[in-house]
Amino acid sequence: MADESLLSDELLRQLVAVGHVDILVGVPTLNNAPTIVPVVRAAQAGLSRHFPRARTLLFNSDGGSDDRTPALVRDSTPDDVETLTASHPLRTTHRITTPYHGLPGKSSALRMIFAVADLLSADAVVILDPDVTSVTPDWIPALARPVREGAVDFVAPLYPRAATDVPLVTQLVRPLVRAAYGWRLREPLVGEFGCSGRFAAHCLEQPVWANGLVREGVDLWLAGEALAGGFRPGQAALGPRVVAHATPRPGLPDVFQQLMSAAIACLEYHTEYWLARAGADEVPEFGTVAICTETGPVPDLQAMALAFARDVTALHPVLETILSAPTLQGVAQAAATAPDHLVYPDDLWAATVFEFVLAHHRAVMTREHVTQVLLPLYLGRTAAFLLEHAASSAATVDDALESLCLAFERAKPLAAAQWKKA
Amino acid sequence: MKPQGKPSDPHWYKDAVIYQLHVKTFYDSDGDGVGDFRGLTSKLDYLQALGVDCLWLLPTFPSPFRDDGYDIADYYSIHPMYGSMDDFKEFIEAAHARGLKVLTELVLNHTSDKHPWFQEARSSLDNPRRNWYVWSDTDDRYSHARIIFLDTESSNWAWDPISKQYYWHRFFSHQPDLNYDNPDVREEMWRVMKFWLDLGVDGFRVDAVPYLVEREGTTCESVPETHEVIKFLRGQLDAHFSDRMLLAEANQVPELVRPYFGDNDEFHMAFHFPLMTRMFMAIRLEDRKPLVEIIERTPAIPDECQWAIFLRNHDELTLEMVTPEERDFMYDEYARDPVARINLGIRRRLAPLLEGDRRRVELMNGLLMSLPGSPIVYYGDEIGMGDNVYLGDRNGVRTPMQWSGGWNGGFSAADPERLAFAVISNPVYGYQAVNVLAQERTGHSLLNWMRRLIRVRQSTRVFSRGSIALLTPPNHRLLAYVRAFEKEQVLVVNNLSGTVQAVELDLQSLAGAIPVEMFGQSLFPRIGTQPYLLTLAPYAFYWFRLRRL
Repeated sequence: MADESLLSDELLRQLVAVGHVDILVGVPTLNNAPTIVPVVRAAQAGLSRHFPRARTLLFNSDGGSDDRTPALVRDSTPDDVETLTASHPLRTTHRITTPYHGLPGKSSALRMIFAVADLLSADAVVILDPDVTSVTPDWIPALARPVREGAVDFVAPLYPRAATDVPLVTQLVRPLVRAAYGWRLREPLVGEFGCSGRFAAHCLEQPVWANGLVREGVDLWLAGEALAGGFRPGQAALGPRVVAHATPRPGLPDVFQQLMSAAIACLEYHTEYWLARAGADEVPEFGTVAICTETGPVPDLQAMALAFARDVTALHPVLETILSAPTLQGVAQAAATAPDHLVYPDDLWAATVFEFVLAHHRAVMTREHVTQVLLPLYLGRTAAFLLEHAASSAATVDDALESLCLAFERAKPLAAAQWKKA
Repeated sequence: MKPQGKPSDPHWYKDAVIYQLHVKTFYDSDGDGVGDFRGLTSKLDYLQALGVDCLWLLPTFPSPFRDDGYDIADYYSIHPMYGSMDDFKEFIEAAHARGLKVLTELVLNHTSDKHPWFQEARSSLDNPRRNWYVWSDTDDRYSHARIIFLDTESSNWAWDPISKQYYWHRFFSHQPDLNYDNPDVREEMWRVMKFWLDLGVDGFRVDAVPYLVEREGTTCESVPETHEVIKFLRGQLDAHFSDRMLLAEANQVPELVRPYFGDNDEFHMAFHFPLMTRMFMAIRLEDRKPLVEIIERTPAIPDECQWAIFLRNHDELTLEMVTPEERDFMYDEYARDPVARINLGIRRRLAPLLEGDRRRVELMNGLLMSLPGSPIVYYGDEIGMGDNVYLGDRNGVRTPMQWSGGWNGGFSAADPERLAFAVISNPVYGYQAVNVLAQERTGHSLLNWMRRLIRVRQSTRVFSRGSIALLTPPNHRLLAYVRAFEKEQVLVVNNLSGTVQAVELDLQSLAGAIPVEMFGQSLFPRIGTQPYLLTLAPYAFYWFRLRRL
């Protein structure tokens, strides 16, 4: 009977001993030995310092690591005197590390964490990314407290970002999610997040765990599900997000394809919600995001612009099947100005993205082909933005990104109308 | 958790937890010693907080009160001592605003002999209303019909000195039976129903249903023509309203109650009297046998219908539908003092019957809330009120609600001597010791426990709509069953004995499920193919939601 269940008999015995928890910190892992110990210590210190009276569980759901990650989770101890002397929880602290069943991947790990949270009636759940080396103990209350105080059901992170940081988020995912779902969520790809036990139980009941949507894009799906499911969103200020990947990461084309596929799949999944949604509501913020004074790495913008111009020409016949005439003309004009005077206006980019999404919805081509063809246009757009703002102040960049989001909001009604017709 | 039933759900009664109360003794707003509708309205917040979602009121019609209002002298009015019709309407509105349904009494079988209809009927043999009642030149007709009020009546016929004939009465002699062979009577009673339904009443508890029609050579109980009357009234109800309910008082064995549901065209609900009696038997015997037998004997009912189950009510704990041996046992165990006995029953409240044992009170309420049917809580039992067997008739279980330890138990500002019924004042159950105010301030009071119990029950439809599968562990002191509805399953285990018990349950059919105890959300080990060991404290019970993850 254990084979038919997410939870083995041994795990269940441990959960019976733990009982009802107030806060569950979940850490999904797969070969994270180089980075996991500080994450666990930060989580434990966060719970001890900020929730000494709470019933807590640190739960590691592991995908079959062969680098001693589970042992490191189990055996790590506080490493500083301050933590040892000042952080004294009143209750037994529980820590469980266990393998999960199913295909290796974050979605399987999260599903197990949600199952445990539901079974233990956890009030608040905090999920940490084991690759993030900048996590501090304060991340725990930042993500858990708004939920525990009953203010929200889902807490997305807020990081201080340099202008050149994560263009996939700032140029694509953020404005698309904001326009479609109608919420001003700055970080829709929730690597770390907090949520209520109620939200965890809700996610557990959704029939998505076996299909590709959640397997490849669980971070985005969670945010979308929180917004579309009527859960109260919030976003909490955390520190900088510094990631040290234990294993080589895929290149941009693979990452772009995965992300764009997930975004399209989420829109298909939440169609009824986003088609009816208008405008974009503010998402309450908890804490103040530090202003990032660093300039992040600037990619080779010249190369990106040239690649954009080249690929637009080469892909013109394909683009004709995807884009409307005005949009195609705008894209061609933008390509013609590359690389020296590359301009890819906000409205043009918004129209581009929505028309690609519609192309997939109309089954003009497969999701993989859609994302492959969009990638060079994304590079062009990103190059154009960074050429203009790489040296701008944080406030100027924020204003520019806000303009981009508004452009996506303007483009949505037409996209929604065309979606319904398809 | 909000109550499961929604205002627009025509089957709301299947999920309801019903609270039975007597307006007369609930709360007196004007200090005349008698409870009233304004007083009841002022206590609706209390009822809403308790978690019930339907109120059943004892009769409030004009009456000479020789049967505490069940002898009705006017079907279209409110007795002034309870307030005005406007007070009643305001009460209905306020109840509905809080999501509370309201059932009132519908006494179909008989009227008071003071009712104008009977006054007219008896005035002459030719009076147009003569045939509204059942008359005879002799008192030997329907000789197979039993006498119900054995303590006070020696015959079902009473002599009318005015019209010089006998009239039929199944209850007190001052309550002549209406004649339902007369279509005019049926039509008039439908008009009565519609009057109150138009005022917003959500349904009726229909009194004394089996006795509506008499036929020679029968017991005059549940004759086929009775069902024609019911079908007529139900047909009228369905033609005019979509979400009202009829609850039958038919004190019969369950297979004889079944016909009162018809084919979804008679009563929506009916009391399960024999179940109640056997709950008391089982806990005293410390043996599940009486309950298992009655549950197995209970027939399936139409899908739109529901049993009404209860522990106590305004009447005596009836011992009509038990064997003589069972009746003797009940008298010996629950009513050694003959003053507690009346008719064929015991006129005591729940707490005194259970000797004030909190554990047994909890267990009985746990059974009430987990067995199939819609449960009814009798007013005052949620705080463990006592009774006064020295008051006449069944009045000892209808004493004023005990709201506080102050003047008249907080029920009324009137002089104590003026109260309709005296407040219980002994040191064990008196208002100083047992009252709402004290229990609201005590975290683990019976009141707060009842609120939690109702809340947990209402957290799932398993209890209100689910099937029941009895388990048969060797330990007969344990009553265990699985309730199931759609994908949900709940395992209920009750220790009927006053000693700690161990039980090994055969739960192979549930293998793989994880039991989660519903009051504290505690996890229990996964169910496997081996017998599942549980230990229970005296009179303890568990409700386990069975999770599969």
